[in-house]
Amino acid sequence: MSETSTATIVTFLVYIAVVFVLAGLSHRLLTKKSFMSEYFLGSRGLGSWALAFTFAATSASGGSFTGYPSLIYSYGWVLALWIASYMIMPICTMGVMGKRLNQIARKTGAITVPDVLRDRFESTAVGLVSASTIIFFTVCNLVAQFKAGALIIEETFNLPATWGYLGGLFVFAGTVIFYTAYGGFRAVVWTDVMQGVVMGLGVVILVPLVLSQAGGLTAVNESICAQPPTLVTSMKQVYPDGNSTFNDLYVKAIGDLQPAGLTYHHPKQPNQSLKVRWSEQSDSFIEVTLATNVSGRTTSTGNDVRAALEEHPSLSQLVEVGIAFDNNEIVEENGQHVSKGATGVIELDPDKKPAKFVFIRGDEAIFGPGRSSSGAPFHPLGMAISFFFMWAIAGMGQPGTMVRLMAFKDSRTLKRAMLTVTVYYSLIYLPLVFIFVAARTLLPYIPQESSDKAMVLVATRVVSELGLGYQILAAIFVAAPFAAVMSTVDSFLLMISSSLVRDVYQRTINPKVTEKVVKWASYGTTAIVGALVTIAAMRPPDFLQYIIVFTGGGFAATFLFPTMLGIFWKGMTKQGALCSMIGGFLIIVGLFVPSMFGGSRMNVCGFHPVLLGLFGSLFLAITVSKLTGPAPEHLVRRYFDRPKKDYDIAKANTESLS
Amino acid sequence: MADSTPQEDLWHDDPIYHNALREAKFITFLWTCCFFYTVIYCYLYGYLTHESLPSSTGPAVGQVVGLLESFNRDPQSVSYPLGLGIPDWVFYGVVLPWGVCVVISVWYCLVMFVEDDLSDSAGETEESTA
Repeated sequence: MSETSTATIVTFLVYIAVVFVLAGLSHRLLTKKSFMSEYFLGSRGLGSWALAFTFAATSASGGSFTGYPSLIYSYGWVLALWIASYMIMPICTMGVMGKRLNQIARKTGAITVPDVLRDRFESTAVGLVSASTIIFFTVCNLVAQFKAGALIIEETFNLPATWGYLGGLFVFAGTVIFYTAYGGFRAVVWTDVMQGVVMGLGVVILVPLVLSQAGGLTAVNESICAQPPTLVTSMKQVYPDGNSTFNDLYVKAIGDLQPAGLTYHHPKQPNQSLKVRWSEQSDSFIEVTLATNVSGRTTSTGNDVRAALEEHPSLSQLVEVGIAFDNNEIVEENGQHVSKGATGVIELDPDKKPAKFVFIRGDEAIFGPGRSSSGAPFHPLGMAISFFFMWAIAGMGQPGTMVRLMAFKDSRTLKRAMLTVTVYYSLIYLPLVFIFVAARTLLPYIPQESSDKAMVLVATRVVSELGLGYQILAAIFVAAPFAAVMSTVDSFLLMISSSLVRDVYQRTINPKVTEKVVKWASYGTTAIVGALVTIAAMRPPDFLQYIIVFTGGGFAATFLFPTMLGIFWKGMTKQGALCSMIGGFLIIVGLFVPSMFGGSRMNVCGFHPVLLGLFGSLFLAITVSKLTGPAPEHLVRRYFDRPKKDYDIAKANTESLS
Repeated sequence: MADSTPQEDLWHDDPIYHNALREAKFITFLWTCCFFYTVIYCYLYGYLTHESLPSSTGPAVGQVVGLLESFNRDPQSVSYPLGLGIPDWVFYGVVLPWGVCVVISVWYCLVMFVEDDLSDSAGETEESTA
């Protein structure tokens, strides 16, 4: 075991121990205060730092330290535009609804988001639909997050493939279920603060280290621009026995004529030999037809293709073929043999389209829109517009963040938290672009299938070489995605149990339930939901990123406008709220259905489904409210007006409520 | 006397609602400015090519504002303002507005944001079911 991995494991263990201590301290407070308000909302007593960091850490799921760095590494500077709405996100997500949501939650005694909606519209149906939607999206998201947590543990502790995933899953699930169920909201917030500080400090320290090693950003950009057009044939194969081969060929265009790319074809006939064709014109594709055996299955390996390209009379002068690792290098990963070279057979389905890869110039990482290895634009205009909405606007509609806005102590707390998060996001998200653009020159050949580990690789290969102190820092970076996943999971676990215990059971089925029953129902529900999600995650779906985007978009399309218009627009009716929620839900689910079956989500007119879900929800909220209005006067009075002070307030209240 | 007072005269807008609405409008205005500036600037000055896919948004925009091919960026033309190593379009399109946003956010928090007394709202049914 290397020194770095020892440091990583120690860091993990210390981290988990601290989480348990925080849960214990939080549990002691539970016995001193009103249980439900404390367990699900921290007794509305969050201070500035707690609010700021729990807000930031909950927003930053595992994607901030896995998917986002991976995208920067792959596509370069265009990710600055992709993440640009974080410049305004803190005051959008906290400032627009924070004060008003907190006020109404106090006024009604609401503990959950469905609580607020149910009371604001005086509608059990609104409460139940919102609780059901939360349960649906949260369960989907938790399965994905549990899988991510399990994979991080499996990889960090180098567990064998036969039981590594399950082992990782049980450790992750056991930890997060215990501290969430036992400690409640306050334990979640305290761990979020710890995680937020660790993540923030890590990035701030990493920036100068990486940039100085890379020679500065200007040198990095010049180096990237000087890179010849390159394509990577990502053809990883995993065999039934668990062994796998990468088969990633790096083909660089070094001649005057530049092919557009390379395609792998299946000959659709048995007993064919490997053929390479090229029309010797720039912008035409190199056509590689793979060899087949008597049964018609392909038999060519990456090395065969490499040799054929190198022997081709004209192509051999125009392209340079290589592999990311030493040829035929076989390593042991998680108890399985992984061939890092190109020794595996390139399997193609004869009934599917040829596999197509295009040459990407180095300077394409300096500008937009970026291209994927298949040549599709990464961030076209429709996506640029959509993502500016997605982070700042859709971010407002997440129940996980809304519930935090119901929990702060006073307006001053909100103000200070907004200031803190504004600075925090500026120190995290733009610097991550600098770090991982620079990583392209420090670690030029991270294969596409490994790019999700860009953060880990930068931490272990760049930082840990500097000495023991930095090895601990590297270990923290390896733990950062784990912390980010945990901080999201704990919030979601509490959200689902609050929906079940508070919104469904206490407020709909049995309003006279005793505090003792509520207490054990809350512990039990958190634990049982966690256990059920663990069982579901034992056979998890493959499309994790789709699920995370799907649930985030679904929450926004379902909750943003019913809540926002509910607290700001006197004319909003319960029918409008219901139609807005159900409409937004159906639009998102409908547009994402193809991705659930292995296809691509439906981007109508180039826009992300979240944008369409948001506009659909807004349209329904306004139209239906106009048609079914006006809103009941006593609700308008209660939530938007105040009795004049020179009048008998008590009498006015009585009259309006009657 | 009080009994003859019309109902409308007994109530007025909740000042917290009033302040929150004013602040929300300001933030929405700020977001809109950021959105239009950043997306338009970066798309026009930071993209090597402007879309030609049939289903994409680019051609639709092009029909309104004219052909965008003239904005296709020459890779050789990149510069790095202030020697920071940040490409010009990222610097002017993202980093600079980000800095301005931070300043405005600080101003908003310190000057515009009203520290309303939220505890004043509690009490009607606060934690009554807890």
